[in-house]
Amino acid sequence: MKNKNQKRIRNRVWAWIVTAGLTIGSLAGCGSQTVEQTAQDEKTDGEVTITIWHDKEDAVTQVLEEKFAQLEPQIHVVLEKKSDLTEALKMVGNDPKAAPDMYFFAHDKIGVYAEMGILSPITDIIPAEELDAYMDNTIEAATYKGTVYQLPIYYETLLFMYNRLYMKDEEVPATTEELYAYMQENTHGGHYGFVEQHSTPYYAAGWINGFGGYILNDAGEPGLNLPETEEALAYHKKFVDLMPGETEYATVNTLFKEGMAHATIAGPWLIPTVRESGMDVGIASMPVIDETGKPIAPYMGVQGAQVLKNAAENKKDAVEQVLRVLMKDEVGIALAQASGCAPARENCYSYEEVSGDEVVMAMKETAENAVPMPNLPEMDVMWTVASGLLTDVNMAGNDVAESAEKAQKEALQLIESMK
Amino acid sequence: MARMKNAHGNRQQNKKRRETLFAYSWSLPSLVLILLIVIFPILYTGYISMTNMNIYHWNNYEFIGLENYKDALLVFDNGFLTALFVTILWTVVNMVLQLVIAFIMATLLNVKGLRLRNVYRTLLIFPWAMPGYVSILLWKTGMFNSQFGLLNQWMIRLGMEPVRWLGSDVIAFISCTTVNLWLALPFMITIIDGALQSVDRSFYESALLDGATWLERTRYITVPMIRPIIAPSVMITTFTTFKQFDVIYLLTQQVGSKTGANIHTILTYAYEKAFITNNYGYSSAISILIFGMLLVFSLVTNGRKEERR
Amino acid sequence: MSKKTKHVLVLIAVNVFFILVCFFVLVPVLYAFSVSLNAENSLLGSDFSFLPKHMTLQNYKAVFTEKPVLLWLKNSLILAVSTLVISLGTGIPAAYAFSRKRFPGRKAILKLLILLYAFPSLLSMTALYKLLSPMGLINTRTGLIIVYTGTMAVFALWNMKGYFDTIPVEIEEAAMIDGATQLEQVTKIVLPLAKPTIAVTAMMVLVYVWNEYIFAINFMTGSDTYTLAAGLYSLQATEMSGSWPIFSAASLIVSLPILIVFFALQKNMTEGLTSGGVKG
Repeated sequence: MKNKNQKRIRNRVWAWIVTAGLTIGSLAGCGSQTVEQTAQDEKTDGEVTITIWHDKEDAVTQVLEEKFAQLEPQIHVVLEKKSDLTEALKMVGNDPKAAPDMYFFAHDKIGVYAEMGILSPITDIIPAEELDAYMDNTIEAATYKGTVYQLPIYYETLLFMYNRLYMKDEEVPATTEELYAYMQENTHGGHYGFVEQHSTPYYAAGWINGFGGYILNDAGEPGLNLPETEEALAYHKKFVDLMPGETEYATVNTLFKEGMAHATIAGPWLIPTVRESGMDVGIASMPVIDETGKPIAPYMGVQGAQVLKNAAENKKDAVEQVLRVLMKDEVGIALAQASGCAPARENCYSYEEVSGDEVVMAMKETAENAVPMPNLPEMDVMWTVASGLLTDVNMAGNDVAESAEKAQKEALQLIESMK
Repeated sequence: MARMKNAHGNRQQNKKRRETLFAYSWSLPSLVLILLIVIFPILYTGYISMTNMNIYHWNNYEFIGLENYKDALLVFDNGFLTALFVTILWTVVNMVLQLVIAFIMATLLNVKGLRLRNVYRTLLIFPWAMPGYVSILLWKTGMFNSQFGLLNQWMIRLGMEPVRWLGSDVIAFISCTTVNLWLALPFMITIIDGALQSVDRSFYESALLDGATWLERTRYITVPMIRPIIAPSVMITTFTTFKQFDVIYLLTQQVGSKTGANIHTILTYAYEKAFITNNYGYSSAISILIFGMLLVFSLVTNGRKEERR
Repeated sequence: MSKKTKHVLVLIAVNVFFILVCFFVLVPVLYAFSVSLNAENSLLGSDFSFLPKHMTLQNYKAVFTEKPVLLWLKNSLILAVSTLVISLGTGIPAAYAFSRKRFPGRKAILKLLILLYAFPSLLSMTALYKLLSPMGLINTRTGLIIVYTGTMAVFALWNMKGYFDTIPVEIEEAAMIDGATQLEQVTKIVLPLAKPTIAVTAMMVLVYVWNEYIFAINFMTGSDTYTLAAGLYSLQATEMSGSWPIFSAASLIVSLPILIVFFALQKNMTEGLTSGGVKG
């Protein structure tokens, strides 16, 4: 018995060693093979493959895939959904073997990649005057240091949503004080009058902007200890006290979805989910902040196409054709219908399919006051610092002025050490 | 006589040379892999730490000497000292609990006549079989969430007040430790379980005849016998516990879902103070400094151990 | 009370203990299981029960029909088997050499290897990228296999060397006198005795490769080339899209092979020196 066992093991060991030898032997071969293959892909008589990384939902990619199909067979567009897209892009940079030709993402990272030198200006491919057809603030968002690095496709802002089962249309607060009164009245017994991701910078920014403060200005200076920002934080805190301690999206969205929260400020992507669960969801304008007379002004994110330098140099024609597809009104309309995306092209709003969409129009209205997310590289560190500041104030209950001072100092130091 | 001695010496030398050659040729593939995948990144990080590689000098970075190290010292402030203390506490608490619990479980798994032991073993390693981020996510949202988490649903059912499991320092530390133990115990139980099997039963039999109690048997037979077998794994686990980043960061410090607890290990601290700047030169300098600290630390403790022997 | 009844009582107590422990250990897993059976897309709910109200197996079906899980499984299997073979193929001889031979540099290398574990590897991905890219190994399985084997090599060497040290050298010496060659000594004597440590090392390598996703995502550019762990990571629902039930179902499916392998390897892991043949 024992002997048999040993024999079996010996055989197995030999099998291992032989396979190991084979595998090591084939290592070198494998590597070069793949490279050859990719090279071949590009050569096959005029047929070009354009690889696009993205992080979009299926509804969006389906529309895009359909529209790109018309470029076949000359141009084959591959939409590759990439997890951790921003980090991966930093690593592969302009490595033609691994980098994509384009990527779809919000505009807030273009500063980083432009400084790294891996992005091509869009105006190298599409004449600048053709970009006039886009809404001004989307082009503004896509511009870094005077150069347009993104072709906008659609934009998104947060929206004020309410559950009609609990909050009647006439109860919808026009001002923040009305909202506060509603919260006081309705927050009890596991129910909340209003919830939001209060300690997430992307969400809290609306309050800060509404007070005239900012997280980061156009010059790349943090504004965490500005009187306006501190005022906003202090004012916002009283709302936070009537909200649950958990601030990440799963909790907040579930509270709203299950009818335990009557109203929320959330992204348009929440709407299909809550409608599916049978909720009669209403969308309203952002409440006006009593102190300043300005509405809550959330960040606006512009989703669009960025072209990598490498692709712009080597596959210019194909890239241009792909961009031209994205510039068609029909793409904006189809995306609005498929996923409630608000088109960046002004012209799309003259179509009934777009102007009749409640969600899209609500975003268009909010966008008039919204602030494009800063696209400077400095913003990368500000997300973390601002998140720390909000947690200090909202969750740990620390003094606003003191925390803001500390966060500002930290922000300045981090920005200093970026260089 | 002298000549014979010489010949003997030569033979010795020859044998030694043969052994060395043999040893190196047998371990060469392994050492080459380690050189490529483990040592090269360290050397590369050391090199980058002396350049100004950051997003403004991505492809055209240049050598700037020790400039980054000068800036990096700024990170080693009071906050860092606190983080270092937390890290040491974290390592000690986790390792002690891990060893004690794993030892008890493994011992019980070896109780004579336990028919279902293989089933228990397999069920107990489940946490090991799942990717770490899935487990952490399950704990964070499924268990600890203060609104909907299972723990609080049970607390309420038992008539107790809901708790914010990750909300303040002490309880968050305990919660993080729980998750880390949950993730790490399967491996430790497997190692100790295996080691226990290798203890020769005859030792116990004679000890039993001598009337030794369970505690005495554990102390004088089991522990000394399994120590050399589990030592490498324990050492490696100690380092991984020290370097643990995911558990604490994902549970309490993730941007967008920070919980308010202010626990930082040196790595989460360094991450927030440096790595997010995208300044690779600067971050590399900090990595090298932390590495240096750990080296000194382990050399000192190692040296002491050897003295004791 | 007779000795026998006492033992039966102990056994009952131990069984009860393990049933309780297993339940508590598995609570998060059961949570995932419940989410995976849920017909509604939510990770959280106010009235949780281990069997959801609207139960469905649709999510499991969706994992296999809508997602390229079988492709990912194939990739994972190829990577896992190759890494395992190379890890053991390089690790066993190295561990043997370090355990049995005395040569200059031995102690220094052993010490150095364990110290390497102290390096915080947050940044090593960029370095590895710079290493593999010029060799054309980015976006190839070979590249990933090299990274995985290298990462596990220190563990494999140390762990197995530690166990080899505990195997009495006398048996090999006896075999040598009988005329066995080095290779025969290793394959006929050391390996059978070292089965537990080889099994544990193999398990460790397997679990690592199976669950590793960071390198798999960053070094493989297309989702066709993803491993199960990387694919699972990409299925993770976000604020904007995705399905939690499908993700949960996929997580459980991914874990299953590991459990099966563990169950099968178990006998080897614990079949130690005593049963092996030191005495026999």
